[in-house]
Amino acid sequence: MAPKAITSPVPDSLYPTLSVLTLAIGLVLTASFFIYEATTSRKTRSLAQELTTGAVASVFLGFGSLFLLIACGVYV
Amino acid sequence: MLRFALTLLLFTLAFGVLSSSPVFSDLILAKVDRRIDLTSQIVRITTSLKVENAGSNPISEILLSFPENQAKHLAYLTATLNEGKGKGKASSGAGLPTEVVIPKDVPDSLTFYSVSLHKGLGKGESLLLDVLAVFTHALEPFPEKISQADIQLLLFQDTAHFLSPYKVMVQSVAVKLPEARVESYTKLEGTKLSGSELKYSPFHNIPPFSYLPIIIHFENNQPFAVAEELVREIEISHWGNVQVTEHYNLFHGGAKNKGEFSRLDYQARPYVRGASAFRRLVARLPPRAHSVYYRDEIGNISTSSLWGDSKKVDVLQLSYFCSTELEIEPRYPLFGGWRTAFTIGYGLPLRDFLFESDGKRFLNFSFGSPINELVIDTLIVKVVLPEGSKDISASVPFPVKQWQETKFSHLDLVGRPVVVLEKNNVVPEHNEHFQVYYKFNSLSMLREPLMLIFGFFFLFVACIVYMHADLSISKSSASYLAKVQWEEVQATVQQIHNIISHCLTAHDKLEASLRDLSRTGDVQACKATRKSVDSLLKGVSKDLKPLVTFLQSSPQAAHILPKVEELIAKERDLQERLMAKHTTVVDCYEKKLGGREIENRIASNQQKITSLRQEVDDLMEFIDEI
Repeated sequence: MAPKAITSPVPDSLYPTLSVLTLAIGLVLTASFFIYEATTSRKTRSLAQELTTGAVASVFLGFGSLFLLIACGVYV
Repeated sequence: MLRFALTLLLFTLAFGVLSSSPVFSDLILAKVDRRIDLTSQIVRITTSLKVENAGSNPISEILLSFPENQAKHLAYLTATLNEGKGKGKASSGAGLPTEVVIPKDVPDSLTFYSVSLHKGLGKGESLLLDVLAVFTHALEPFPEKISQADIQLLLFQDTAHFLSPYKVMVQSVAVKLPEARVESYTKLEGTKLSGSELKYSPFHNIPPFSYLPIIIHFENNQPFAVAEELVREIEISHWGNVQVTEHYNLFHGGAKNKGEFSRLDYQARPYVRGASAFRRLVARLPPRAHSVYYRDEIGNISTSSLWGDSKKVDVLQLSYFCSTELEIEPRYPLFGGWRTAFTIGYGLPLRDFLFESDGKRFLNFSFGSPINELVIDTLIVKVVLPEGSKDISASVPFPVKQWQETKFSHLDLVGRPVVVLEKNNVVPEHNEHFQVYYKFNSLSMLREPLMLIFGFFFLFVACIVYMHADLSISKSSASYLAKVQWEEVQATVQQIHNIISHCLTAHDKLEASLRDLSRTGDVQACKATRKSVDSLLKGVSKDLKPLVTFLQSSPQAAHILPKVEELIAKERDLQERLMAKHTTVVDCYEKKLGGREIENRIASNQQKITSLRQEVDDLMEFIDEI
C-alpha cells in the first residue's frame, strides 16, 4: 500500500493562535485561583474548589506553554 | 608511481601469456567506450560495455577489475543495463547489485567487483552494460606546493586499455578536461586533443588484463572542497518539524599554498592571483526549508544568500525539481591546504519526510551532503527519533557502519534513541534516500504536555499547602488568638455580605418584573415573582440572626458591628418599601389606571427607595473592603 504522510496533530499555522488562547484562559484561571485564596478566610475555604481550579488552570497552562514552545521553533 | 605502473604492465602481460582460466574467457567485450570526466575534483569514469557470451554456459555475473591504487580511491560504483540500442541514450534501469569478490588465480594487485545479472546471459547473446565509477582524491597536485600566483596543475594516471579479465575487441577512450589548457599528456598513436577533449584512437583485440598507462597533466581550477568530517544530525519531532544540523570541517584538497597570501593581490585580480582558491559553495536544500542558519564558533556568518523554492531543470533526466538554494561564503577564501569549520542548520516540514505503512513509521531522507561537488572523507549521519520509539531499523542502499546511541534533549525522561550511520569516502552520487523504520504509539506524544501540566499543578498544590499550613509556633499566645478571632469575624461578615447581595438581586428581580409588567401587561407573572421573592426574603432574615448574634459576642468586631446592623436595618426598610411599591403598581394595573396615576402614587416611595439603595450599596462596599 502507498505510504501515507504523517503530519502533526494540529496544523502548523494554528500553533501561535492556540498558544495565545490557551495561555490566556490558563492565566485567567490562575488569577481566579489566587483571588479565591486571597479573599476567603480559613473557615470558608473549600479544598475541592481550590484543587479543581488549580487542576484546570494547570491543564490550560501546560498546553499553552507547549504550543508556545513549538510556535517559537523549539520543537520539543 | 610510473615505476609501479610499468612493473604492473610487465606482470600482467606475462600472466596473460602464461595462463588462461576458463571462467574468464567465456565472455568477450565486443565494444568498450570509456569516458573519463576530469572536470571537477571528483573523477568519474563511465564505461559502456557490450558483453557477448562466447561460451556454452549461461553467465549470471560479470567481473570488473580495478588496479589496487585506483581501487582504494573508489567511492561509488554502479552498473546498469542499457536497454536502448542507440548510443547516448540514458539508461533508466535501477543499478545491478555489485559486490567485492576475490576470484581464484588472479594477480594480487587487482580488486574485483562482480555485477550480478537478473537473468543470465545465454549462449551467443549480448547485452549493453553501463558502469559508472567515481573516484575521490585520484587527482594528484603536481607541483604539490604552489604560491598564490601559480596555476594549479594536476596529474591523472590511468590505463588506455580497459583493464578487464575478458578479451576486448574494440575500445575507445575519451577524456574530458575542465579547461583547454593541458600541460602534457601521453601521446600514443592517433591521440587527438581538440579543445578540452582528449581522444585516444580505438584499440583493437586487447588480451585480458592488459594495462597501458597514460598520464595527463592538466590545469583544474574547480573548487577542491573536501570535508574531513561531516556530522549530520536529523532530529524528528512529531509536532511537525524535521531539524537538520550539519557540522562541517572543510579543507581545500588541491595543491598546497606556500609563501605569503596577499589580500590586495587577491582582491584586485582574483582570477590571476588565486585562481585555484574557491570563495563560495552552493548547497541545494530540500524545498520548503525554513529557519536556515549558517554559523561557526565565533557566531553568525552573514555572507550567505538563500533562494527559496527555485525550480531547476535536471538536464540529464529532463525533469523539474524544486529546491531551496543556499549560497554560503566562508569568512576567507580557501587556498590549498587551508581549513574552515562551520555549521549549517535548517528545518523542514514533517509531511515531506515521515510516512506510515504497515503499522510502522519511516523517515525517508537523503544521505549525503546538500553541498554541490563536495568530497567527504568521513560522513556521520545521526537520526534522532522521538522518545518512545521502538523496533528501530535502518535501510541504506549502500554499505554503512551502524550503531545506536541516546541523546537527551528538551522534555526528555529517558533520552531519545539515535541511529548513527557512518561511511567513508562519500561523493554526491551517494545523495540517495535512505529509510529509518520505527514503531511509535501516538499516545506517547501526550507525555510532553503531561509533564508540563504536572509541573504547573505542582506549583498550585504548593500554593494550597502554604495557605492551609498553620506555621505558628505557639497556639496560645495572645496575638495568635486575636488573629484566629479576626479571621472568624471576617468569615461572618463575608457571609452576611453574600446574603445581602442575594437580597439585592431579589430586589432587582422585583424591579425587572415591574418593567416587564409595563411592557407586556402580564399581571399573573408579576404576582408569581412577588411571591417567590417574598419567601426568599423571609428565609434570609432567619439566616442573618445567628450571624449577627455571633458578631455581637465577638470583641474584635466592635468597630464593624454598628455598620453591619445599620446595613441590615436599611436593607429591611428597602425591602418593605419595594414590596409596598410593587403591590401598589400591581393594584393599579388591575384597576386599569393610567401611567400618570401610578407615578403619582409611588412618587414618594420611589425617592426613598433610590436613596436607600444608594446607601446600602455604599455600606456593602465598605464592608467588602475590611
